[in-house]
Amino acid sequence: MKRHLRLFVLYFAQYAKVRLAYKADFIIAFFSSMAATVLGFGFVLVLFTKIPKLQDWSFYEILFLYGFSLIPLGFFNVVSWNLYEFGDLYIIEGRFDRILLRPVDTLFQVLFEKFRLESLQEVATGIAVVTISARKLNISWHAADYLWFVVMVASGALIYLAVFLILTAVSFWFEDRVGIVPPVFNMLTFGRYPLTIYNVFIQFMLSWIIPFGFASFYPTTHFLGRENFTIYFHLVPVVAATFAMLAVVVWNRGVANYSSTGS
Amino acid sequence: MRDDPQCVDCMTALVEVQDLTKEFRTFKRREGVKGAIQNLFVRERIIVKAVDHVTFSIEPGEMVGYIGANGAGKSTTIKMLTGILVPTGGRVVANGFVPCRDRRHYTKRIGVVFGQRTQLWWDIAVVESFKLLKELYEIPDADYQKRLGLFSEILNLKDYMNTPVRKLSLGERMRCDLAASLLHNPPLLFLDEPTIGLDVVAKDRIREFLKEINRLERTTVLLTTHDLSDIEELSRRIMIIDRGKILFDGDLAEMKKRLAQYNQVKFFLKDRAQAASLAQITTDGISCERVDDVTYLMRFDRDKHSSAEVIRNLVNRLEVRDIFIEEEPIEDIVKRIYLSGEVG
Repeated sequence: MKRHLRLFVLYFAQYAKVRLAYKADFIIAFFSSMAATVLGFGFVLVLFTKIPKLQDWSFYEILFLYGFSLIPLGFFNVVSWNLYEFGDLYIIEGRFDRILLRPVDTLFQVLFEKFRLESLQEVATGIAVVTISARKLNISWHAADYLWFVVMVASGALIYLAVFLILTAVSFWFEDRVGIVPPVFNMLTFGRYPLTIYNVFIQFMLSWIIPFGFASFYPTTHFLGRENFTIYFHLVPVVAATFAMLAVVVWNRGVANYSSTGS
Repeated sequence: MRDDPQCVDCMTALVEVQDLTKEFRTFKRREGVKGAIQNLFVRERIIVKAVDHVTFSIEPGEMVGYIGANGAGKSTTIKMLTGILVPTGGRVVANGFVPCRDRRHYTKRIGVVFGQRTQLWWDIAVVESFKLLKELYEIPDADYQKRLGLFSEILNLKDYMNTPVRKLSLGERMRCDLAASLLHNPPLLFLDEPTIGLDVVAKDRIREFLKEINRLERTTVLLTTHDLSDIEELSRRIMIIDRGKILFDGDLAEMKKRLAQYNQVKFFLKDRAQAASLAQITTDGISCERVDDVTYLMRFDRDKHSSAEVIRNLVNRLEVRDIFIEEEPIEDIVKRIYLSGEVG
């Protein structure tokens, strides 16, 4: 564990150094990431100029949810790059060979080979928006709430990671370029609104099939005082742990199945 | 092989390979649009045996050349020996490990270089890559400094230690890859086409380095190559694989003795006029090939004729300025094996 932590810091420092060496490239990436975030909030603002409430959710409640969803997502996005390109770069091009030749866990190496640094912007923006909307909503925070908040963020990030790891591991079996990751990536935006606004089918799917609801909506219900979701709120870490374990199992099966490129 | 202790006892070899087999399952792809649609529904399975019951062992300190035509199974063998691929059948024990089973411990004790693909990080400076490897392999500071000093001296790495890997020339990159693969002082080194695409000087430097490491550390080396001079320079032992099967495994000199079919004599005529009498010497299994107006290459079966006899015959009939006698080049022997798919 200590060794992995050390390695993580080294990998991160090394990559940050490379990335910041190309200043223009990094600045452009940072601003385009920022622009996407701002546009997302713009949409919510415009929406609420037309309607006073979304079902029984007020503007600041939606803003709180939207802001919260950015925090675990931002952390996930820092490493998601590697998963997005995994099939092409590692399986088809055969870079996974190199990963297998090193005496460190394969998952560790794949996840931390590249970092999307600019996504940390999402984390910062999310925290700012959550702070502002919490103040507007007069939410009172107890000591335990801070702890819960951290647990929820960690669980949310873990859920995103687990879902995409499972989808990524599919490339170990199907070398043909399967476009399964991009559509699910687009589904991430569903979690930015209360699940209650969707029909039953989508609600079920976002809870139990691709559990993005457990990464954004359910975690916020506790802070917004929606007692009818208490069970779901407490299930968040359980769902995260379950999916994470499942992801590790699928990943390891995939590694065993890896057959490398021709010569 | 930790859970099978009696096995370790009975082995003295560093690498023990027995009946190693790898099959790849693929689907037959039909051509054209119609074929592509058919492929979606009915797929015809084909099984390709890339490596077929291969058996050999390597002793500590040996340098072994592993050759074969493209697609013969060299890389697949190396990938099974390094733990990247899981064998379909047979077994490998190397350094006391089953490579694919105990990968994380095993990889600490081997070095691997793929000539076609770098093991280093593309965007970062060479020295930074080395530092990351130091952490990955948990190399103690003193060892790291010592080996880095040694390598940069023999391989002359100093000038580009701070250059990102992607900016290096192929020869420079290869030297860095070699150094990287040996930083943790592995007793066993696998090289897959380490001299591919390199110029003569770069090749030479790499060969010298390998010899030096083998002498200093008794590092065992298994290398694949298409350049047979690599093998003549480096290893006494050669293994030839073809269509997944080992065709020859033994001493290089022994191979020449057993498999060379002809000797050749290259001679220079005194003047062009002499060429008219050439027909007199090309009889009874002796062929003569024209290189230029005055230079000719004569080949003859070593069993039927002795060199002395052939040369005597030659100088008696023609006016010759110079003569060189050569064995059949190893390239020709190997070419014959690749084409016929059998030894002898």
